[in-house]
Amino acid sequence: MHSRQIDPQALPAGTYLNTGHAAQQGLRINRFCYDLRHPENRAAYTADPEACMEKAGLDPIDRELIRAKDWLGLIQRGANVFVLLRLAQLCGDGLTETGAQMRGETLEQYLASRPQPTKG
Amino acid sequence: MGRIIAGLGSPHAPSIGALIDKQDWQNPAWKKLLDGYTPMQEWLAEQKPDAAILIYNDHVTTFFFDQVPTFAMSVAAEHPIADEGFGPRPLDPIPGNSDFAWHVAHALVDDEFDITICQHMPLDHGALTPTSALWPDRTKPWPCAILPIAVNVLQFPVPSPMRLFRLGQALRRAVESYRDDFRVVVLGTGGLSHQLHGERFGYRNNEWDMEFLDRLESDPHSLASLRLQDYIERGGAEGAEVIMWLAMRGALSPKVRCLHRNYHGPLHTGFAQVIYEDTEHMAEKVLIS
Repeated sequence: MHSRQIDPQALPAGTYLNTGHAAQQGLRINRFCYDLRHPENRAAYTADPEACMEKAGLDPIDRELIRAKDWLGLIQRGANVFVLLRLAQLCGDGLTETGAQMRGETLEQYLASRPQPTKG
Repeated sequence: MGRIIAGLGSPHAPSIGALIDKQDWQNPAWKKLLDGYTPMQEWLAEQKPDAAILIYNDHVTTFFFDQVPTFAMSVAAEHPIADEGFGPRPLDPIPGNSDFAWHVAHALVDDEFDITICQHMPLDHGALTPTSALWPDRTKPWPCAILPIAVNVLQFPVPSPMRLFRLGQALRRAVESYRDDFRVVVLGTGGLSHQLHGERFGYRNNEWDMEFLDRLESDPHSLASLRLQDYIERGGAEGAEVIMWLAMRGALSPKVRCLHRNYHGPLHTGFAQVIYEDTEHMAEKVLIS
């Protein structure tokens, strides 16, 4: 890939670009999460996650990452954070919890790392 | 001719919308941010613009990754409140102004901005957070027509900062070719520095946010000349959405008068609010009064 705007090889560490292979590989997971905007799909997932993943045609790697609530692994596989949050919240993890996990920290460690608000 | 009277900048985080729905305007952790809306609400109530062009991004709600328009706008008479997965917010549909919107659509495409024209574009928090914060009185109908323009900032290739600045310039030409006495504000939305994914989650850069706000007011062309990579490095991957503020600034006169600027960074994201008054018609206004 060549772009005048973006150099994927020189992105800051821990940053994943939604494009190309990752965007295509992530499409299944992203659609699965996208469909969770409907209440009936959320209820079905809560009742029987395995059946929902089977119906959505997720592959074994997708399924294992979801079972493990491995938010970082899902991002690395091409999931987009905004759509993934629908699944995370259904699993009981809010934005802050997913963030702490992606950083490899506990929630307390992450919150303690927050800079004090500055004047502006 | 129609004219742009000001540009306003606002974050669009869903957490702000949740506070507004609870009428929790005094929440201590968020007070500096919520108080920052007061001068904007007062200014809009006094100025009563005929329409607001709202530059925002959809968060995989109305558009999915299988079909992503780089730029999309709604010409509908009203814009439905989207259900993002937790029930729609308790808001009335947002009014549009179809005559104005179709005019803008033609003007943009004439100007080689080949925008996707939507007759049904439900709005998610990207549009609803700023709208509900800027016009907070839920006892009356929405007082201002909204023309929402959705920008893809989630799946690359994302349009360049300069492209957004030029979109703003094209919007100015569109407004100025509309009928007499039609007064428009442009709303740029999105958080300043933040990153919400990967091991770099939580990245923030207050110094860059301050520099961005300084340069946006006085030297926006230099910001438009940066690469998306520069925005990702300095302000985090999700913070690159701040290019949407460049469309707001591009729609304004080269010199603006900053009436309001506020900044608050309570947790993951740097939040800023501004009002930039357009100065091109000021001399005229003084003469008339």
